[in-house]
Amino acid sequence: MKARTELIASAAVVMVFAAGPVLSPLAHLDISIVSEVLVTSIAVMSVNLLLGYTGLPAFGNAAYFGLGAYGVALSVKYLDVNFIESILIGIAAAFLGGLILAPFLLRRRGIYFGLLSIAFGQVFYFIAYRYTDVTGGEDGMNVPRPPLALPSAHVAVNELAMYYLALVLFVVAVIMFRGLVRSPFGRTLIAIRQNETRARYLGLNTDRFIFVALLISATMAGLSGAMFALLINFADPLRLDWHQSGYFVLSMILGGAGTVWGSLVGAFIYVIGHDIISTITQWWQIFLGALFVACVLFFPRGILGTVDVLLRRSPQAFTDDDVDAAFEAHAPGEVGRGV
Amino acid sequence: MASDAILLEARGISKVFGGLRAVDDVSLQVREGTIHALIGPNGAGKTTFFNAISGFAFPERGQVTFRGTDVTRTLNWRRVAMGMGRTFQTPSIFPELTVDENVRLGVRAHAKQAFHLRTPGGAAKAAVDGRVDELLGFVNLTAQRDRQLSELAHGSQRLCEIAMSLSTDPVLVLLDEPMAGLAEAETDRIMGVIRDLRLRLGLTVLFVEHNMRVVLSLADRITVLDRGKLLAEGTPAEIAANEAVRSAYLGEGVLDHV
Repeated sequence: MKARTELIASAAVVMVFAAGPVLSPLAHLDISIVSEVLVTSIAVMSVNLLLGYTGLPAFGNAAYFGLGAYGVALSVKYLDVNFIESILIGIAAAFLGGLILAPFLLRRRGIYFGLLSIAFGQVFYFIAYRYTDVTGGEDGMNVPRPPLALPSAHVAVNELAMYYLALVLFVVAVIMFRGLVRSPFGRTLIAIRQNETRARYLGLNTDRFIFVALLISATMAGLSGAMFALLINFADPLRLDWHQSGYFVLSMILGGAGTVWGSLVGAFIYVIGHDIISTITQWWQIFLGALFVACVLFFPRGILGTVDVLLRRSPQAFTDDDVDAAFEAHAPGEVGRGV
Repeated sequence: MASDAILLEARGISKVFGGLRAVDDVSLQVREGTIHALIGPNGAGKTTFFNAISGFAFPERGQVTFRGTDVTRTLNWRRVAMGMGRTFQTPSIFPELTVDENVRLGVRAHAKQAFHLRTPGGAAKAAVDGRVDELLGFVNLTAQRDRQLSELAHGSQRLCEIAMSLSTDPVLVLLDEPMAGLAEAETDRIMGVIRDLRLRLGLTVLFVEHNMRVVLSLADRITVLDRGKLLAEGTPAEIAANEAVRSAYLGEGVLDHV
């Protein structure tokens, strides 16, 4: 996509969301559901960074998402924190979780990385589930929204404020994410996905890159989980469960792995689809499953991944001249000028 | 140009796969400034030996010394930082990136910019750009620099891989069957590049090769492996005259034209 087209399209998307409080009633959507889309898409982005860009099966990112949610829930219940502090504690909890798990994960690849990620997520799930005295166990925890941090007045955060905060955080996340995947660091992550052996034979300690990617991913998922708990005023063990991780992965694949905006598209379909279909039937997962199967069969690159390919200039056809140009332009011995 | 300094030394390398001794007590010395070939019939253990030298898979026994340092158990990316570059039998590349980016990744890695969260500007950028231009010019892929590498022909991919292996400023380049699967014209082109590695860049080259015409015209030294063991070592003339080598290759007809 050309830079200008991308900028205009991005600005249009943000404008539509900025008008969300006006537009959502027209679509019979509660504004808090749209907030949920924005918040969830940050978690989907965190999966995208690991799976879509670096090629690591991040099947356990709900661990960080849930740590963010419980970080908020516990700090609200047991500490006298304000709104911003609770979010920061949620993020810190997820970051610490990443810091603890990363050393175990960063040498694993492929299915082993995926299974270990799920296993660690389940450990946190069972802690939250079993440690009833503190976490409330299966019943979860109510998360009353703490007042915003203002020097004098205690200002309550209403749904509209939550929505615009979610939008601002989302926009900041997208801008940073886009910068990240285009930076030398991000290009190296893509290189690791395509061929880790070659990356190492370029002198790169790929474990170090994966370590940092894991921490960034955990932090993003933590921010998402923290906002989520404040949004629905609730945190329960299911936020840490592998099903939750799976929804992030499904959303990423639906939206388009390895695309910046795919996370929003995937989260939108998942959250809105869930909201609409689950009011009609409790078998909503069948529809999500069918959509996922159709996506994998017909659009393996996901929705935005497919759009990306269609927009891109079709690859130039091979010609013999073209292919042999490198070989025939110079006679042997004449090459190597300039080094 | 050849000096007496030993750049790479492998002593008593052994590697077992299951019950098979793929490499059995093989030693080899690569002297600075030489083009050294490693040859042998199929299954002789050439690639296994190569992998032990380059840190792709550690040997069970033996010692590898590079630039006077024991690197037997040194991780591959550290060896690269020490000045060892390598290519693979099947070009090991980033297929979905452009030619330019493939080379740029290595140049950035070497310039310690791979970890940067912003593309550096100014002198740092100019240095990287200049080096990428140089390397693409060296393998003559400048015209194709913005093409996705998977779109290019096999030979061009191999040239790009050579440029990538040079991007980290190695002193020793290990080439694993650089001519595998190439047409005659392409083979000549790669031979020209390998000669230039030494002539223009002053590098030392160790390469695995099947094609005897290539080996005899390029190499200063030849090491022959057969069924995992060291069979012979010497100059091209010595190897061509060696009875043991001739019988190992018997029936393959590769030495007939010598």
